[in-house]
Amino acid sequence: MNVEISDVTRRFGRTQAVAGVSLETGPGVFGLLGPNGAGKTTLLRMMATVIPPSSGRVRLLGRDSSGYGPRREIRRRLGYLPQNLGYYPGFTVVEFVEYFALLKEMPPGQVPRAVATAIERVDLGGRARAKLRTLSGGMLRRAGIAQAIVNEPDLLLLDEPTAGLDPEQRVAFRALLRDLGERTTVIVSTHLVEDVGAACNEVALMDAGKIVFQGTPGELTARGEGSGAAGDAPLERGYSAVLAAARSATAAA
Amino acid sequence: MTAATSAPVRPRTPRATSAVPLSAARLLRVELRRNAMPWILPLIAALFWFDSYRPSIGTAQLYGLRTFWNMGQGHTIIDFGPFVAAVAAWMGSRDGRRGLADLVTATARPRWATQLVTWAATAIWAVAAYLVFVAAMFVMYAHQGVGGTPPWWWVAAGVTAVAAFSAAGFAIGAYWPSRFAAPVAAFAGFLAMAMSSQAGFKYTSGWALILPTNSNGNFDGNAQGDSGIFYPWLPDLPIARIMFLAGIAVVALGLTGLPARAGGRGLRRAAAVLTLAGVVSAGTAVGLARTAQESAHGMIIPALHDAANDAPISYTPACGRAAGVPVCLNPAYRRWLPDVTAALAPVLAGVAGLPGAPAQASQVAAAYPSGDGGPPQAVTLGGHPLMLRLSLGLLNMPGPCGFCDGPVAAKQFADQIRLLFAHAFVGAGSGSGGPAQQAVQAALLRGAGIPFAAQPRLLATTGNFPESGLGPAAGPVYAAARRFAARPAAARHAWLAAHLAALRAGRLTLQELP
Repeated sequence: MNVEISDVTRRFGRTQAVAGVSLETGPGVFGLLGPNGAGKTTLLRMMATVIPPSSGRVRLLGRDSSGYGPRREIRRRLGYLPQNLGYYPGFTVVEFVEYFALLKEMPPGQVPRAVATAIERVDLGGRARAKLRTLSGGMLRRAGIAQAIVNEPDLLLLDEPTAGLDPEQRVAFRALLRDLGERTTVIVSTHLVEDVGAACNEVALMDAGKIVFQGTPGELTARGEGSGAAGDAPLERGYSAVLAAARSATAAA
Repeated sequence: MTAATSAPVRPRTPRATSAVPLSAARLLRVELRRNAMPWILPLIAALFWFDSYRPSIGTAQLYGLRTFWNMGQGHTIIDFGPFVAAVAAWMGSRDGRRGLADLVTATARPRWATQLVTWAATAIWAVAAYLVFVAAMFVMYAHQGVGGTPPWWWVAAGVTAVAAFSAAGFAIGAYWPSRFAAPVAAFAGFLAMAMSSQAGFKYTSGWALILPTNSNGNFDGNAQGDSGIFYPWLPDLPIARIMFLAGIAVVALGLTGLPARAGGRGLRRAAAVLTLAGVVSAGTAVGLARTAQESAHGMIIPALHDAANDAPISYTPACGRAAGVPVCLNPAYRRWLPDVTAALAPVLAGVAGLPGAPAQASQVAAAYPSGDGGPPQAVTLGGHPLMLRLSLGLLNMPGPCGFCDGPVAAKQFADQIRLLFAHAFVGAGSGSGGPAQQAVQAALLRGAGIPFAAQPRLLATTGNFPESGLGPAAGPVYAAARRFAARPAAARHAWLAAHLAALRAGRLTLQELP
């Protein structure tokens, strides 16, 4: 298992962002769904080793992330795309991706080729020498994805990766996700259930800091059948049905 | 996006140790290329031109004087410091400001190591610019025929100051990742410079000598024109300042490595040790500055002093003749040789052939302080055979004079030299001399073409000249002088030949003058 999370919580002052999440997953594309404020981003930041959990255990790529040494090993094999990706406006796409390849401590001799490959994979080869300040929002997102995959990570964490991408790019990105998922554990946090339906082998739905559903996209779809839940697509209806059930259970408790 | 692209085989080889510096070098290359410092350099260049270079060319063509303004008073540091601190704060706050803190934190390279590379690129730009600007200034000085040797130790202190400003600014930005970090760092830098200058005016010795824009003790006091000409620039105080400024830089950089996110325990421990080392270095430097003593050729710090620096610089003098007497100057003063010979010629001619007349005139280092209670004298007589010693470093030489009312005219300089010669010749020393000595002095000056009526003003305006109390050109002293001057030259000569020893010993009265 590349990701082993046991009873993890995370508090920010009085706010409990993640409340006792346990999760295990191996290679493949794992979708993390949930409404705003469900705790998806906080969970991803803990998996990215940006913040430590308040309690519980996070074990990634066979290493406990609480120690600095193992954490550094994990980071070498990690790709991360935050929800709000900043950028250095004066850097070119190549420099930006190269910069993060070096920060990930890739062997310097392999960096130029890896950077070129990553940029080609996100279809930014034509703008490789363009400064980031000249790129559109969608292109910036793709540059962000390129830096996340430049080190061919074993664990790839993507927070809202398709935000800002046009439909054509989104379709291409889903294909890339499926390709990456064959060797890598890819965890995608998203609002867009169609991304999950098209690319994910497994999905978890979070609400109020907890995982309220975990299964395949097909199982999630099945939860919506006959439930009368709102939604334009079967997967959306499943999403709505699970959320409604979880909330009524919480209210009853 | 091309999912079908066959990904290269994943590198899983362990990182070689040699890859770490190579990786840092490549990061540094990217940081150097995209650093914000070059954008501010035109502004610093303009400031440097107007504040450091332009005012300096108003002084005489000697390194000791030219660089007193920009190095001694620290204007080069003032021009760089606040702006360098601002840009460094901008770079230090970059990841936080740009929303990249999470992404950078999630990478394997320790955050502190990454920050140090960003700082290094910023500091390299700033220091390189400082060196280029100073080098350009020195090249222009060389073209203008500036004499002496450049004060390299003070340049080194300036370089360290620029690095310290960059480190301090970077630390502000790293701890406070806001767009306001840069202006706050600039203001703090400016305030530090202003306080340093003010402390320099208030405290002329002790701990305050460590402050980079405190001009006290930087050069040789009254003899500053001779720094780097007769004796090497003393490195004692610059070394202490380098220790102080490097200590500040190390403290600032060490502080950025202390937070938990900066790296592993070992790295943070190293940052703590570095911070402590910086504090020790800066504290030691302050302690050393407290022991500084002013010597004849600059500021000495006993613990740092190397006696080898007290050895004079050997040189081949530039010589001419005045009334047949050889006049030799340090080659740094070569441009003024005609002025000096022209100034001395009439007074040397007036005493030629007398047993107490100098056989040679030679420039000597201007020692400070004089040591005999009175103000140091620029012209003295001594030695066997009798030599006229010229401490020209105590005088404003003809030409531009930065800290005077205006340029020094050749006649003004000549009159001062003649007065100082006459004063030395009658044996008045560093005091005003007795009435008979004053009267002969006045008569000698009259013989050199300076009317009696003009002499009181000359006495009042000559630097370091003792208060004579003579007042207007009337009274018994000037009456005796007029009487003596009215005698035929041969008679004056004969009287001086007979009475010079008694006159110099101060044993003659006005009534004994012919």
